[in-house]
Amino acid sequence: MSASLDKGVRVLKEMIDAPIASYFSSCVHCGICAEACLFYTETGDPKYTPIHKLEPMRRIYEQEYTLIGRLKKLAGLAKAVTDEELAEWQELVYNSCTLCGRCSVVCPVGNDIVYMVRKMREGMSAAGHSPDGLKGAVTRTINIGSPMGVKLPAVKAQMKHVEADYGIEIPLDKEGAEYLVLLSSMEIINFPEYLGAIAKIMRHVGKTWTLSSEAFEATNAGMQIGNSDLARVIVSRIVAGAEKLKVKTVISPECGHAYTALRWEGANLVGRPFSFQVQHIVEVLEEFRAAGMLRLEGMETDRLTFHDPCQLARRGGVIQPQRNLMKLVAKEFVEMPDAGFMNWCCGGGGGASSIEEGEILRIEAFQRKKKQLDVVKPDRLVTACANCRIVMEEGLEHYKMDLPVIGLAETIAEHIPDPQ
Amino acid sequence: MAISNDKEFKAALAALDNCDRRQATAYLIRQALDLTQDARVKAGLDLAVRCDASEMEFSTAAAGVNSARVASYTQCGHDANWTCQAAHFVARAAQECVKPEVSAGEAWEAAMQARMARICQHIAAGEGTSNREAEAQYRALEDYLQAKGSAS
Repeated sequence: MSASLDKGVRVLKEMIDAPIASYFSSCVHCGICAEACLFYTETGDPKYTPIHKLEPMRRIYEQEYTLIGRLKKLAGLAKAVTDEELAEWQELVYNSCTLCGRCSVVCPVGNDIVYMVRKMREGMSAAGHSPDGLKGAVTRTINIGSPMGVKLPAVKAQMKHVEADYGIEIPLDKEGAEYLVLLSSMEIINFPEYLGAIAKIMRHVGKTWTLSSEAFEATNAGMQIGNSDLARVIVSRIVAGAEKLKVKTVISPECGHAYTALRWEGANLVGRPFSFQVQHIVEVLEEFRAAGMLRLEGMETDRLTFHDPCQLARRGGVIQPQRNLMKLVAKEFVEMPDAGFMNWCCGGGGGASSIEEGEILRIEAFQRKKKQLDVVKPDRLVTACANCRIVMEEGLEHYKMDLPVIGLAETIAEHIPDPQ
Repeated sequence: MAISNDKEFKAALAALDNCDRRQATAYLIRQALDLTQDARVKAGLDLAVRCDASEMEFSTAAAGVNSARVASYTQCGHDANWTCQAAHFVARAAQECVKPEVSAGEAWEAAMQARMARICQHIAAGEGTSNREAEAQYRALEDYLQAKGSAS
């Protein structure tokens, strides 16, 4: 057994906690999770059945923690997990799983398969069987602080650009501000309009906010690759930045996994409660709306629909706020089939979009989104995740669908009247 | 007409009629064409300066520019290549003017995308946050207006 395989198997053994053991022992092999996974439904290949993606881990569980499995192992009847097998499973655990959680919510015995896949990724990562794309993102996060290599000068350049474009000052390191706004690398690189929208909205509602020179990056590559230690380091940077500036609320950007990492797992990762609250930008906008602070003008008259990012809606439970916001600005807001809690993933979440060798599969899986869109035939597609946005644009481009994709925050900001 | 700030720049764009505004916008974006190698973007801008272009020609060119824009996104988790990203913003800028009618807002948006493209070039070169593209755009628009005035 090679050192890396040994380490990987050891980590996988350590990952098998009480929930994992109960999930494996509860699985009734019904296959319902297959029908919930877009990689299975769009390819028809049974290897993409979610529970099958965990087969090496299941065997380790059986051989190490069940009586029959141990006896089989002693009798030489158990098949040990090999390096080649883990290499083969890399595609199943990373390329064809976006951690969207659809499989978890349809499981009749309540197995949280996403939880299991994430534990499996910890072992795969330790064994060296994680995709190069994700490894690169992790290396950049460690060395630079950002999975996409974004440094503070680039953020400052974007701030300056947005200030010129919108005529609004972008605050940096303002101690005592109410909100600390985080950005995903994707927004810094591809969507400067997100920062402009935030500036416009905050001025409109009269709230104080700031960026942090030490904690501007929200993306959590540690969570995506399956490295809790790294995920903890990334969250700790944000916690340190927020506490230094004494903010009341940290706003997670239009990025799915950043929200899950910080909002739902952050405090457990760092081992103590936060001194601030964490909200997704959609939740913040909804609070402004509910308080009557969003005094918008004009309505979009074309047909708009909303793509729910999995981490926001299914894993995060934020479903109605985005609909309330859409109805503020859209005369004709239409829902795709399965929208909301059971929405289908864009196909690129959970780090999948950074895996180049997974591109063909992603495009194939995008047919599920295409089918949803074909039913309602919208003029534009709105979402609240920069990664979903790009993955969907690529899918739409591939299938020659002329459908602009826009962000929710900027859509709201466009309806804010200019100050007198 | 001398243009020395964004307010005057916006006003000058707003004062143009539709074809002139499209031409002027394409002319502004061409200042940043050194930042892209994509032939689809160049073809789109070549079309945008013509006043006799048909709807069909615009539709075909817009599809090409959109493909260039989507293809040049930096995907989540990939190492940011700011030189490539500059090309993305040039494509975004071009997309604003490869259409029959270009509003003043769209012309401004195109100019800002072109400025963002230049910022990306500066980030790639480690040149900090200085951006002289705005000044270059003021001069380019002045030149365009002057040429237009001389021709009429």
